[in-house]
Amino acid sequence: MTAFLLNLATLAAISGILASTLNFIVGYAGIFSVAHAVFFGLGAYAGAQVALLLVPDPFLACLAAAAIAGGLSLCLALPALRVRGEYFVAASLGLQMVAATLFAELKPLTGGIGGLVGIPRPEILGTVVPVLPLALAALALILFLTARLQRGAFGRTLQSIRDADSAAEALGKNVNAAKTLAVVFACAGAGVAGALYALHLSFINVESFTLDQSIQIMAMVIIGGTGTLWGPLVGAVMLLSLPAVLSFIPFIPPTEVGAVQQIIYGLAMTLLMIFRPAGLVGDQTKGRSTS
Amino acid sequence: MLFLQLLLNGLQIGAIYALTAAGFALIFGATKIFHVAHGTAFTIAGYVFLFAWRAGWPGWAGAAAAVLAAMAFGVAMERYVYRPIQRHEGSFFTVFVAAFGVGIVVQNVIGMIAGRGFATVDTPLSFSAEILPDVFVAPMLWIALATAAVLFVALTLFLTRHPAGVGLRALAQNPDLIRTYGLSSNGLSVLAFAIGSALAAPAAIITVMTTGLNEAIGHQIMLISIAATIVGGIGSLRGAALAGMMLGIAESIALQVVDTQWAEAVSFFVLFAFIIFRPSGIFGVVQTR
Repeated sequence: MTAFLLNLATLAAISGILASTLNFIVGYAGIFSVAHAVFFGLGAYAGAQVALLLVPDPFLACLAAAAIAGGLSLCLALPALRVRGEYFVAASLGLQMVAATLFAELKPLTGGIGGLVGIPRPEILGTVVPVLPLALAALALILFLTARLQRGAFGRTLQSIRDADSAAEALGKNVNAAKTLAVVFACAGAGVAGALYALHLSFINVESFTLDQSIQIMAMVIIGGTGTLWGPLVGAVMLLSLPAVLSFIPFIPPTEVGAVQQIIYGLAMTLLMIFRPAGLVGDQTKGRSTS
Repeated sequence: MLFLQLLLNGLQIGAIYALTAAGFALIFGATKIFHVAHGTAFTIAGYVFLFAWRAGWPGWAGAAAAVLAAMAFGVAMERYVYRPIQRHEGSFFTVFVAAFGVGIVVQNVIGMIAGRGFATVDTPLSFSAEILPDVFVAPMLWIALATAAVLFVALTLFLTRHPAGVGLRALAQNPDLIRTYGLSSNGLSVLAFAIGSALAAPAAIITVMTTGLNEAIGHQIMLISIAATIVGGIGSLRGAALAGMMLGIAESIALQVVDTQWAEAVSFFVLFAFIIFRPSGIFGVVQTR
């Protein structure tokens, strides 16, 4: 039971990082990416390769993951600078689909469909450490940075871009630089989550980095409340504990648990958008994020 | 000859894409709703036809049922999902997430009922015959092309000649004016959803009679419809249909160079290129950011 709870807590912390970083670009910068799992995946593969080929040092793995995911996030920043709204969602959907194909096909780097197996457990100074404290520390750091950035000048610039980017530009804000920086920060964070995920499970394959995963992260942010600090965390914990709760319901056949879980996500997303679009934590009176 | 074969296959895929993309573009143009559940209407229509076929219904009855099911789904989405959200001036993204949620629910419900994996309907029309040395074509190809052409002409005539069609175009351009003239914009938007969703049904029936469909095909169809609408130029029906046809052909011809699993990626490289270099699309008015 403790092992089960520890595992759940680790996954919740990792999902918390993913949801918080996605919320950073969705909620604060108004960039609606449905390709967050791509950067999670890039980080996971990078971290796993560092551990497999060099040393299972978690800091090195996280650093490599952040560098690769952050660097390649320019694939997302580029369309984000050019187009908004529907166009950008279409571009990020496209990126997600192409990246999933790449993950499945680049066998030397990703192990193909079979994935990478036998990733060594993380060691600090020769001692094996659990991933949970590392993930919690990373989550705390990201929340701290988000809160700081949000209150500072950079955060206000982002919010002004979200609400009216031509006005922000007219005020002399460097819109392109701010957007790019936000995307790089969020995607590097997703990369760190990926490295931790790889070290925790010691097995990864493309299944965890598909459109469904991107949508699940999105659902965490939305259900919790976009543009709030704690909303994405609440969403992450709720959606992650769902399978565990469902497995206690006796009349669902085990083969259909996955489908039932998906149906519940789907319903929750739709109903919340209709009745409570600001999410569970969000301020219901305030105007919500713009189109 | 391989090239000709791939081109013909591409025409068939292109006809399917053109029909679904035209439906998506019609809905988006008239109502400004980014109907990401359009692929779901396609899936529902395909499975209704499949079930009707397995239950021994004649083909025309199954097709009629499929069209009705797609229309009912589209109208229900408008009535019960999009309209309540827009009443609270919901953002584009709220609409996107709500529609995506419906897509997930339908996909999994279908998976639970019909089982997962590809399902096809075999008829004499799907059997290929050699028309030239090494070039095989099934009668379905001609049916697909004729269906797409006839429906597209009918749709164009409807939009230019019929008062309701003219109203739809007016709604696309100036929703306020519609209200000033005492027309019901709600009624017109229901009409847009009904016609747009109905267009997905023939495409779904052709798919189930040729390559087959699975419960997750809605994603792919949605992506292609969005890609075609953007590549064609938002607001342009002929642009969407043309781009759908082009994407189908490009996907098929790319098979001469790359493996099957990359076929889908081809569409997205085209989409990406358009978004970066020409976001207004082939026929669209310039509108960036």
